[in-house]
Amino acid sequence: MKLASYRKKSPWILHYNAGGCNGCDIEILACLSPKYDIERFGMINTGNPKQSDILLVTGPVTKRNRERLVEIYAQMPEPKVVIACGACASTGGVFRGMYNCEGGIDQYIPVDVYVCGCGTRPEQIIDGVVQALAILETKTKELEESVRLKKEAVKEKQQLNRRNIADEIKPAFT
Amino acid sequence: MNNLWIPIILIILAPFIGGLVYGFERIIKARMQRRIGPPLLQPFYDFLKLADKRKMIIHSAHAFLGIMHFVSLWFALGVLLLGGDLILVIFLHLLSTALLILAAYSTRSIFSHLGANRTAISILAYEPVLIIIAVSIFILTGSFDAAAAFQSEQPLLYKMPLAFIALLLVLPIKLKKSPFDVAEAHQELTGGVELEFSGIFYEAVYTAKWLDYVFCYALVYLFAGNNMLLGAGLIVFTFFYLNALDNSTARVNYKQMLRFSLAVSFSLAFINLLINSFS
Repeated sequence: MKLASYRKKSPWILHYNAGGCNGCDIEILACLSPKYDIERFGMINTGNPKQSDILLVTGPVTKRNRERLVEIYAQMPEPKVVIACGACASTGGVFRGMYNCEGGIDQYIPVDVYVCGCGTRPEQIIDGVVQALAILETKTKELEESVRLKKEAVKEKQQLNRRNIADEIKPAFT
Repeated sequence: MNNLWIPIILIILAPFIGGLVYGFERIIKARMQRRIGPPLLQPFYDFLKLADKRKMIIHSAHAFLGIMHFVSLWFALGVLLLGGDLILVIFLHLLSTALLILAAYSTRSIFSHLGANRTAISILAYEPVLIIIAVSIFILTGSFDAAAAFQSEQPLLYKMPLAFIALLLVLPIKLKKSPFDVAEAHQELTGGVELEFSGIFYEAVYTAKWLDYVFCYALVYLFAGNNMLLGAGLIVFTFFYLNALDNSTARVNYKQMLRFSLAVSFSLAFINLLINSFS
């Protein structure tokens, strides 16, 4: 059975705002509008992690958000891909090094596609999703786990970060 | 024998037909919003994709109840299309929804519980109207069998137009369409009762939604008697009416839904029953 080829035709997107400024979220919603209409590729914006394939994260991960982010990631059944949408989600953006933020979502969950821009443009988001679909097709149904649940956080010398004194995240699933 | 084959084929192909109806509906809805919309076979792509996901279940009873929801709904549809007892059909449909509600209550998710509460309330809103319509059909044809309605010479629509209007007013509740979609409410409950299902077990609930379309359009077809052309016309009218209503109205809360359904739809059906029984 070549069921994997159908993953490309109906990607269901879960959108999570990990403490961003809402700029990227507006652009994501613009993708649903008549001008871009991503539903013609079968994409639906679901609010439900258990039925979605693509996790679209915006915003730097704030301290309060990170456990939810990891838990949402853990609740999604494989195969799944993660898109870091916007400068904040990719690297921390202008919030990098602040006491309440972590620098980007890739310190917690494995990220497949980074979309640049502060507010990303809808075209860039669609392009990122299309790249993510190519990755989605090659993924397996094996368990993928959050980075932070296994490893220590990425530490940089010049970075003044609350992470150094922050608590460890408890595993969402034991 | 020729008459028996058509319902049997319809019953076997029901999920496929329902999927096509759902796919077409998504296109129509998109066109009403000046979008292009997904391809016609999109529901089947979703179906095949969901079959390929890793299985995650809350507990085995939850997954089992989800599958039983699908099976019992298909059974109810089969009884209806084969011309069985209408009261039996309505209660079998109630049973299938009750199984889904039980599944939703068996999880610990608060959204799932809210969805189950609201689904129970929406049953309270549409079930009495359907039963009154069944009783009206009994008074006109002298039998509770759907076969009597399917074979009646004069279409039931001409004798009970008020009941048809009442049915049109409760169908959005049953199909979870916009003014009365509190049970599903994708923006606030993210699906309600179907929230905790995933992968291949969500497929059962997702396909049951397609069966629900066939079930509702079969109920509409009851009003046409043996006039096939009128039946097709009624189904097409209902299809466009439901989508236009879904696109043009905002969600009401469950109290307003219950009040509207019991005050307007139920009274219309009841007046229709009185007229039928005294004329």
